Amino acid sequence: MSRKVCIIGGATTPFDYGPTGFESIEGGAAECVKETQQDVPEFSLRDLDLMIYSHFSVHFGHQLAPEWIIHDHLGLVGLPHYRVENGGNTGGSALYAAALAVMSGHHDVVGIVGWETMDTVSQSQGSEFIAMASDIRYELMVGGIYPIYYAAMANKWMKENKVSEEDVATIAAKNKNNAMDNPKAQWYRNDHKYITVDDVMNSRLISYPIKKYDRSLMSRGVAFLVVCSEKYAKKVNPNHYVTVDGMGLSSCTIRAGDRLNNPGWKERYGPGYPEMTEFAACRNSAEQAYKMAGIKDPVKDIDFGEIHDAFSTSEAQIYKALGLADQTNIAQFIRDERTSMHGDIPMNPGGGLLGYGHPVGATGLMSTIECYYQLVGMIPQKHLSRKTEVPNPECGIVNSHAGTGTSISNFILRRH
Amino acid sequence: MMAAVTIKKKKNKFSEAPVFTEKKDYRPEGVKETGLAFVGHEISEDRTTMNQFLHYDQLYTIRHGWNSKFFIGLLDGKIMGTRCPKCGDSWVPVRTHCWNLDCNLEKTEWVEMPLTAKVHTWTVAGWSGRSSLKRLPIILVYAVVGNSKVAIANELHGLKPWDVEFGMPLKIVFKPKEQRIGAVTDFHFEPADGWKPSPMNKEKERIKKLVEPVYEWVKTLK
Ligand SMILES: [Zn+2]
Repeated sequence: MSRKVCIIGGATTPFDYGPTGFESIEGGAAECVKETQQDVPEFSLRDLDLMIYSHFSVHFGHQLAPEWIIHDHLGLVGLPHYRVENGGNTGGSALYAAALAVMSGHHDVVGIVGWETMDTVSQSQGSEFIAMASDIRYELMVGGIYPIYYAAMANKWMKENKVSEEDVATIAAKNKNNAMDNPKAQWYRNDHKYITVDDVMNSRLISYPIKKYDRSLMSRGVAFLVVCSEKYAKKVNPNHYVTVDGMGLSSCTIRAGDRLNNPGWKERYGPGYPEMTEFAACRNSAEQAYKMAGIKDPVKDIDFGEIHDAFSTSEAQIYKALGLADQTNIAQFIRDERTSMHGDIPMNPGGGLLGYGHPVGATGLMSTIECYYQLVGMIPQKHLSRKTEVPNPECGIVNSHAGTGTSISNFILRRH
Repeated sequence: MMAAVTIKKKKNKFSEAPVFTEKKDYRPEGVKETGLAFVGHEISEDRTTMNQFLHYDQLYTIRHGWNSKFFIGLLDGKIMGTRCPKCGDSWVPVRTHCWNLDCNLEKTEWVEMPLTAKVHTWTVAGWSGRSSLKRLPIILVYAVVGNSKVAIANELHGLKPWDVEFGMPLKIVFKPKEQRIGAVTDFHFEPADGWKPSPMNKEKERIKKLVEPVYEWVKTLK
């Protein structure tokens, strides 16, 4: 049996966009480490035996191998390091890599630093950079940006599942309003307002049915997370660690149109799935994670989640892919507000990508850190109030998602 | 005993280099390859914060290699697909090897596809990448060309954005030959001849309301 994997702490910089309050990437990484040390005084950088760096696009950074600057800056010369890149699932994939390293027994204490600086170019140029993770030969010049691909998938999905524009707007409002309780969230720091479903409905068209408030934010931010063996967790943070009880990573086509009739999915799930509408890699990686963690009924067994709401529509699609609802009840599941703070399975209490922000390489780590804070009872000290604290949670899910659903990971975290 | 092996003189190349005889340049005016250059900076009033501007502009060569026939086909006003000789699956966008694991990466053959398609799904874009902003709103569809197993993304022209429908029949229309550049933007979809939009309904009114400000916004772009 492989070794247990634990998380003992982590922190992010505030997520932002534009010129305010930026310390530099390596400076931000250092501050994340220092915040982690305030929470876990026994943790020392000397304890690390591997560093994994989580960063998506050197187009944004105008620097190849930027992780070498951070690593050096943290004083970690001599320590092994490498970078993981897997689109929007970069953070989840880095966590996967760190967990494998600990599970194998080869490493005991693995640090992950993730970051992205998306404000180095204009918003529209930034959208085009991200779209370079589509198949540029076929898609870049005809869609141009990811929201368009997502909108085309969501439009059909919503009709087939009888989910309305208003339904997904409730998700957008929920996450942005949750972010108003989180001082590090970009929505809190920049837009800083509570919004209603009407505000979402009246915001400008991005790509039908997605509007401005249905999409996540382009961000700048850094995150740090410590993944380790249980022996180390018991030594440095015995009362505040979580275990990674399940994990899964799966893949799908780069071009969403290639999902139709795809033999790989037909073999696993039968004909007609995932169509161009379902996130098959989410379902597949969730099944792996549930099996590993002994989750039988996700709605009952999981208390809350931090999931990849790049768009309000994708959060709805993810509910279904995670098995929280099916075609017969997904619309009602949303209308019953099951995933709001007063629901039975709150999703994105930290604000999610819609509210906290989406600096790609840091995003999956941010979700993991928020999940960790909830499970170890640190929300009162990290958020502004207890409004966004999940009451007494035992088990959380972290979801990280790339491309048009091209790579997706899921993790089951449990309070120790 | 081993058979004697004649060791030939070292070859110059592993394969013949193609001889490129048609070369075209359609670079937009003002685009230069300046390479990397620091082109300016700004410093805050209290002189504690500095931003520096780096200009980075490079020419890339996309070597289409075995996929070339698709892009050359576009210049000729054709949609070239590929087909697996073993299982018969065909694709646009093309695959040079079959996706079916039972076919064990069988090399595919080229087939000319019909210039007809069907909408699989659609969206109406009111925002886009920098290079497409002036063309908004754009109807983007994923459509299945001929008997392709997959859908390809492209723009749909020739109808009001709110009139697009799932499953509607399409024709593929190419730009005039002299305007083609061997990219997917050489063609777009239009409704098949004889297709008529259905009457206005609640969703169409909603889309109309969403795109009206986009038309106005585009007018303000320089
Ligand atoms: Zn085949």
